[in-house]
Amino acid sequence: MLFILILLPLLSGVFAFLLSKNQQRKMVLLGTSFIHLIGVLSLWKSLPVAQLNGFLGMDVLGRLILTIISILFTTVSFYLWGYLKDEDNHSNRIFMAGLLIFLSAMTLVTMSRHMGLLWIAIEATTLFSAPLINFYRTPQSVEATWKYLLICSAGIALALLGTLFLAVAASKGETVFLDVLLNNASSLAIPWLKLSVIFLFVGYGTKMGLAPMHTWLPDAHSEAPSPVSALLSGALLNCAFLGILRVLQICAAAGQAAFARDLFLIMGLLSLVIAAIFVVGQSDYKRMFAYSSVENMGILAIGMGLGGIGLYGSLFHMINNAFAKGMVFLVTGNLYQIYQSKKISDIKGLLHYYPVTGIFLAIGFLAVTGVPPFGTFYSELMILNAAIQSGRYWVAFFYVLFLAVIFIGIAEGVLKMLHGGTKEQTANQTNQEDIRLIMPILFLGLIVLILGLYMPSFLDDALRESSKLLGGR
Amino acid sequence: MGLELALILIVFLGVVILGSSRLGTMIQLFAAQSLVLSATPLLVHPGKHAVVMAFVTVVLKVFLMPNLLFWAIRHVSIRREVQPLVGYGKTLMLGGFLIGTAFFISSKLDLPVEETSNLLIPCAFSIIMIGFLLLVSRLKAITQVIGYLVMENGIFLFALLLLEKTPLLMEMGILLDIFVGVLIMGIVINHINEEFESTNTIHLTTLRD
Amino acid sequence: MGIGVLVHIIIVLALSPSLLGIIGKTKAFLTGRRGPPLLQPYYDIGKLFRKGSVYSDTTTWIFQAAPVVCMAAALVSSLLMPLGGLEAPVQFWGDIILFAYLYGLARFFMIIAALDTGSSFEGMGASREAAFSCLAEVVLFLDFIILALLSKSLVLSRMIEGNILSSWQLFGPVLLLAGASYFLVLLAENARIPVDDPATHLELTMIHEVMVLDHSGWDFAYILYGSAIKLFVLGGLFVNILVPFHGLPPITQTFVFGAGMIALAVGIGVVESCMARLRLNRVPQLLIGAFVLALVGLLVVLTKGV
Repeated sequence: MLFILILLPLLSGVFAFLLSKNQQRKMVLLGTSFIHLIGVLSLWKSLPVAQLNGFLGMDVLGRLILTIISILFTTVSFYLWGYLKDEDNHSNRIFMAGLLIFLSAMTLVTMSRHMGLLWIAIEATTLFSAPLINFYRTPQSVEATWKYLLICSAGIALALLGTLFLAVAASKGETVFLDVLLNNASSLAIPWLKLSVIFLFVGYGTKMGLAPMHTWLPDAHSEAPSPVSALLSGALLNCAFLGILRVLQICAAAGQAAFARDLFLIMGLLSLVIAAIFVVGQSDYKRMFAYSSVENMGILAIGMGLGGIGLYGSLFHMINNAFAKGMVFLVTGNLYQIYQSKKISDIKGLLHYYPVTGIFLAIGFLAVTGVPPFGTFYSELMILNAAIQSGRYWVAFFYVLFLAVIFIGIAEGVLKMLHGGTKEQTANQTNQEDIRLIMPILFLGLIVLILGLYMPSFLDDALRESSKLLGGR
Repeated sequence: MGLELALILIVFLGVVILGSSRLGTMIQLFAAQSLVLSATPLLVHPGKHAVVMAFVTVVLKVFLMPNLLFWAIRHVSIRREVQPLVGYGKTLMLGGFLIGTAFFISSKLDLPVEETSNLLIPCAFSIIMIGFLLLVSRLKAITQVIGYLVMENGIFLFALLLLEKTPLLMEMGILLDIFVGVLIMGIVINHINEEFESTNTIHLTTLRD
Repeated sequence: MGIGVLVHIIIVLALSPSLLGIIGKTKAFLTGRRGPPLLQPYYDIGKLFRKGSVYSDTTTWIFQAAPVVCMAAALVSSLLMPLGGLEAPVQFWGDIILFAYLYGLARFFMIIAALDTGSSFEGMGASREAAFSCLAEVVLFLDFIILALLSKSLVLSRMIEGNILSSWQLFGPVLLLAGASYFLVLLAENARIPVDDPATHLELTMIHEVMVLDHSGWDFAYILYGSAIKLFVLGGLFVNILVPFHGLPPITQTFVFGAGMIALAVGIGVVESCMARLRLNRVPQLLIGAFVLALVGLLVVLTKGV
C-alpha cells in the first residue's frame, strides 16, 4: 500500500508528461489525486507494517500529515480543473508532471523511516516544486524561482550535514533509521546530537519558512500561480515541519528535548516578529498572505517549543492552518482571475461586485487569523494556554501582541479590498464565480469551521498519540 | 599521506575558485576538485563500496555536472564574473578567516576519526565554508550554483567518515538528488537569461518589501 | 670562515646571471625562437660596467647609493643561504629576520632613489612596489613560521635542512602549500609575470623597471646584478623548501640543488610564456590568495600537532 501511494503519482506524472493535450493531463491529475486520497483514507483503518527493509513505514504523525496533503492536493486539483481552462495555448505538460511528482515526493517524506531517505525526499520536493512556481515565466516569477531553488537547496545542504552529524552521533548504533535511533536514543553522543539538531533545524527550517531563513517564502508563494501557492503553504511547509518533528522525536527519546524546544521557541518568536513587521502595510495581497504563512509556521514552532499541551495545540494548528491557508490562496486565485492584478489597491468593493468571492475572502481572512468559531482560534488558544501554564508569561505576552498586530495588518488589507470602489470601476468579467472555483474553497472553509466546532474522536486520538511520540504526555 | 595530500589539494582548489573571476575557469576548477574528491573514498577505506562511490562521483561530478553548467551558460557572452559583493581581496581574506574558523571548530570537537587523517574534518568544514561564501558573495547565477556544488563537495568529504556505514543506495540517492538539482538550476538559469538577457542576479532584486 | 665567505660569494657572483639566461632561453624556445645566448646576462652586465653614468641635477647621494646597497644586501643575504652541499658561512639564531630585512633595506633604498629622481614614472613604480611588497612580506613570514614550526629552529640553515625524504611522508602537503605560496612571493619579489613583465617597454605597465629608468652604467650594472643574485638566492630557498635532498652526501646534494635551480628557471620561463601579466588591481588579490594558502599550511601544521 505504501509503495502504491508513492509510485502512483510518480508514474502518473511521467504519463502526464507524455500526453499531448492539456485537457487530458488535467484529467490524469484529477484521477490520480482522487485515487491517492482514497488510498490515504484507507490507512486510517489500520496502519501498515514497515516495508522495504524498514526504509518506509507509517506512524500516526506521518499519517496525519499525509492526510492533510492528500485532501489539499485533491481539492487543488479540482480547483485547477476550472482555473486553467483559459490557457490552452500554454502547455501545462511540465506543470502537471511536476505537480504529480511533487505529490509523490511529499508522500515519500511522510513515509520515510530513514533520515537519509527523508533528506532525499525533502530535497526532491524542492526540486519538483520549483518549475511550478515558474509556470507563467514572468521576470518576477523567474526571480522567485531562483531564490527559492537556491536558498532552499543551500538550506537542505546544511540539513544533509546535520543528518551526517546525526549518523556520527549514532555511530554506536551505526545507522540513521528512525526506529533504531529511537530505540538506542540513550546511547547517542550528546555533543554531536546537539550539533546535528542545530544544523537540521536551520536546514529544514529554511524549507519550512522559519525566520531568519524565510526570505524566499514571500517571493515564491506570491509569484507562483495561486493553486500552487495553496499547495506550497498548506502542504509543503508541513512536510518540512515533519522533518523537524522527526528530529524532535529523536531528541525527546534522548532526553535532550529541552534543548530542541528552546531552539524552536527562539525561531518561532523571531518568525512572528518578522511576519508582524512585514504584514502591516503590504501592498500585494498574496505577499501579505505569504507572510501570514511565516507567522503560522512561527506559531507551530512556538507550540512545539512550549511542550505539554503546546504539542497538541501545535499539531491541531497545523491541520487548521493547512486548510485555512489553502482556502485563502484559492480565493486569491479567484481574485487574480477577475482583476488580473496582485495589488490590494486595484481591488475595491468586492462585497458589492463579486459577493460570493468577497464573502469567501472574508471567511478566509477570519479563518487564517484565528477568529472563533474557526479551528485556528482554538489551536492558537491552546498554545497560549501552554505558555501560561508553563509560566512563560513573556512568551505569552509577545505571542498575543504579535498575533494582534498581524490580525490588524491583514484586516486592513482585506477590508480595503472588500469595501470601497466607485461606479466607474471596471473589471474583467470572465467566468465569474465558476462553480469549480467555488466548491473547493467552500469545502476547505467548512473543514476549518467544523474543526472549530467539533473535534472528531479519531482526530483527537491521532493528535494525542502524535504528541506522545514527540515527548508529550 | 595520500589522503592528506588529496585533502590539501581540494582546499587549495577551493581557494583558487574563490579568487577566480572567469566562469569557464571556475567550472573547470570544480571539475578538477571533484576529480580529486572522487579519489578520496579509495584512500579512506578501499573496497567495493569505495570503488562504486568513486566511479559514480567521477561520472556525475567530473563529467555530467560541469558539462551541464557549460550548457547552461552557452548563451552567456560575457564569461567573466562581476565584482563580488565585497570585492575579491576581501572575499579571499574572509575565506581565509572562515578556514581558520573551521580548523578552530574542528579542534574543539571530539571526533571519531578512526583510521582517517585528523585533517579530514577541518578540511571538510573549510570547503563547506568556502562553498557557502561563494554562494552568498557572488552575483552571477552560475557562480552561486558552483558555490552550492562546492559546499556539497565538502559535505561529501564529511560523509567519508561514515563510508562503510551508510547504505550505498543512500549515497547514490543523495548524488542523484544533487544532479537533478543542478539540472533544474541550469534550466532556470536559461530562463533567467531569456528574461533578462543576462545572468547577473542583480536583476533579480525587484521582489522586496 | 673567511675562505668560506669568499668561496660562497664567488660562486654566487658567478652563477646567478645564468638563471636569467636559462629563463630567457626557455621563453624563446616556447615561442619558437632561438633567443639570446645563455650567457647574455653576463655580456649585458659586462657591457654596462664599461659604460659611464649620467646623473640628473635633481638627484642626491641616495641615487648613487641605492645600487650599491642593492648589490651589497643581496650578497650578504646569499651568505645565509646554503647552496646544495655548501654550508652557509653565516648562521645564527634568528637569521631569517636579517635575511628578510636585508631585502627590505634594498627595497627601501630603491624606492627612495626612485622618488629622488623627481620623475612621476619612477614615483608610480615606487608606490606600486611598496604596496605589493607589503603583502608579499606577510606571506614570506608566514612561510618562515611554517618552516620554523616544522624544524623547531629559527636558523635558516637548520630550517631548511630538516627537509629530508622521511619528513615528506608527514609534512608533504604542508610543504606543498608553503612552496606554492612561496612561489607566488618569488614571482612578486623578482618582478616576474604574472606580477610584473620584465620585457615590457611601456612605462605605465612597469613596476620594477620603471624605478630604475634613470640609472645607467655602473649603477645599472649593480642593480641588474643585484636582482640576479636576489633571484638566485630566493630561488635557492624555494628549491630547498620543495626538494627533500638533505641528508644525502654533499656532492649529491649539490647536484640535486643545481638541477633544482635549473628546473626552477625553466619553470619560471614556462609560467612567463603561458600567462599574461595580471591587471594591477588583481595583483594584491593574488598575494592575498598566497596568504590564504600559507595560512592553510600553518593551520595544517598546528592541527597535526607539531
